[in-house]
Amino acid sequence: MRMEKRKLDLLVSVVVFCLMALVPVFVKSAYWLGVLVVALYFSLAAMGWNLLGGFTGQFSIAPATFCMIGMYTSAMLVHYLHWSPVAGILMSIVATAIVGLLLGWVCLRLRGPYLALTTIGFAEIVRGLIRFSYDITRGDLGLSVPKLFGGGGHVTYFYTFLGVVVLVQLLLYFLIRSRVGLYLQSIRDDDVAASGRGVNVVGWKTLAFTLSSLICGLSGGLYVHFIGLASPETGLIIQSGLIIGMAVIGGMGTLTGPLIGGLLLQPLSELVREFGVQHMLIFSLLIILAIRFWREGLYGSFRKVLARVS
Amino acid sequence: MDVLITGIIMGTFYALLALGLSLIFGCLKVVNFAHGEFFMIGAYVYALIALKVGMNPFLVLIWVVAFGLIIGLIVERLLMRPLYQKYTEWGAMRDEYAIIVTFGLSLFLINLANQIFGPYPISGPGLMPMKERVLLGNILMMSSHRLIAFCVGAGVLIVAFVLVRYSPWGKIIQAVSQNRFGASIAGINSTKVSSIVFALSSALAGLAGALLCPIFSAEPFVGALPAVKSFVIVVLGGMGSVPGSILGAYLLGVLEQFGAVYISYTYRDTFGFVILILFLVFRPQGLFGEKAREV
Repeated sequence: MRMEKRKLDLLVSVVVFCLMALVPVFVKSAYWLGVLVVALYFSLAAMGWNLLGGFTGQFSIAPATFCMIGMYTSAMLVHYLHWSPVAGILMSIVATAIVGLLLGWVCLRLRGPYLALTTIGFAEIVRGLIRFSYDITRGDLGLSVPKLFGGGGHVTYFYTFLGVVVLVQLLLYFLIRSRVGLYLQSIRDDDVAASGRGVNVVGWKTLAFTLSSLICGLSGGLYVHFIGLASPETGLIIQSGLIIGMAVIGGMGTLTGPLIGGLLLQPLSELVREFGVQHMLIFSLLIILAIRFWREGLYGSFRKVLARVS
Repeated sequence: MDVLITGIIMGTFYALLALGLSLIFGCLKVVNFAHGEFFMIGAYVYALIALKVGMNPFLVLIWVVAFGLIIGLIVERLLMRPLYQKYTEWGAMRDEYAIIVTFGLSLFLINLANQIFGPYPISGPGLMPMKERVLLGNILMMSSHRLIAFCVGAGVLIVAFVLVRYSPWGKIIQAVSQNRFGASIAGINSTKVSSIVFALSSALAGLAGALLCPIFSAEPFVGALPAVKSFVIVVLGGMGSVPGSILGAYLLGVLEQFGAVYISYTYRDTFGFVILILFLVFRPQGLFGEKAREV
């Protein structure tokens, strides 16, 4: 039964990816393609958070911080040591994996509200360090970095981001379907029972932390070479709220939910912005309503409808 | 010496916030991530009523408290209630609901204020004319608003502390926070207690916001910093411990001022978080925390 569910997830993801791949054929405006690239960045970060929050049940409030660490790692390597952006992105994966491992190790004993508080503290410390180390990071001014493709238009970026998201989604699919995925979900559902059945709770939790941070770092590394500027703004707690919100509204603990959440909500918030309403206002209201009345999220509802039809 | 006094004054306002947060954590076992936004609402209510209606600032404070109580009741009713009514159904999902819903509420209130009042800071009038200064024992010059605000804050704090600690109602609150299930067996309506506690905490946070309004000005993000400070304090003093949170507040207020003066001003706010993480990792029960009694 569970196998069926994940296969359906994969199938829907593939459909979404195919639709996305066709988008540049119809959407010619550079602005909207740019919006979609940002949406893919958020999807990727939400997928990363979902691995930790949705599947393992560890509530980190710092996904945007890992994105920011990824951004600054790559930005500083490229800016000061003149590395190529690709090498910078690879290093940002390594750096966030290490930081994620450390944070995971620190947070091993903590859960629930304590974990959330620790990650908030962590997020603010990192942001403070980056903001106030003017001589290295140029503080609030931000660090400008070269783009990934010198002359390429937004279409090139779009397909690059899409390719990375497809790759990560495939890896997550195999991870969640594997034994490890079951371990992670058993930790979420009841960690005491899980360790009683011989699951190495400590080890798998740390692994989930590392992988989740790594995915966020990857998204940050990619993003910085699209936007061309690394700024401490990207590590604000509100940004983490956006990422978590996308995962929650899309459907926590499903493979496809965060993907759909990011892809729908980011363009939607751009649309709302055109009407002069604060997009965060609508967004936060959606988060509250979703968690209160509609826990399965967009994708969960879709799955239910599908089950009824078939 | 004046550093110490400034620290103690700030500590009083932190204590108003942290006391509420601690009570909520005690009764509901929830960290209210929207606590800073209650502070912000208090600041706005104070500034707007005092400026638009031109009422005596002391009377406005009563309105602030009333408004805080109402907001607290509404929020508890709409968003917190499922926490204990669906307790058994949800099990492990409970924490994640609490975190996300209060976090979402915080974002919502910030952006609502931004939408309605715009991002511009609104400064309220002082309780005393702001220019007026008083001299305290030849050592320290301070604005008389600060002094009066400190007295009001400290007075409310003492009353709240005595009520929670020694009055029969306070005993009920303590019972619920020690063991919710046990308290309801003893005939205490723990749902009602929780909603009262939530409303009170919201009112205390609003009062702190109103008292600091002439100094910090009301703006959408004004609550963020006091909120994270009160998280640090609550962890420092031990989650859910009332005397711990008050002592923690003074400790942080004083330490912060000394840190700012003698170590580094720019990293002032970062110190707090370092303390937070160190405590969470090495001494999660805080300075005065006690383990909750299980059924």
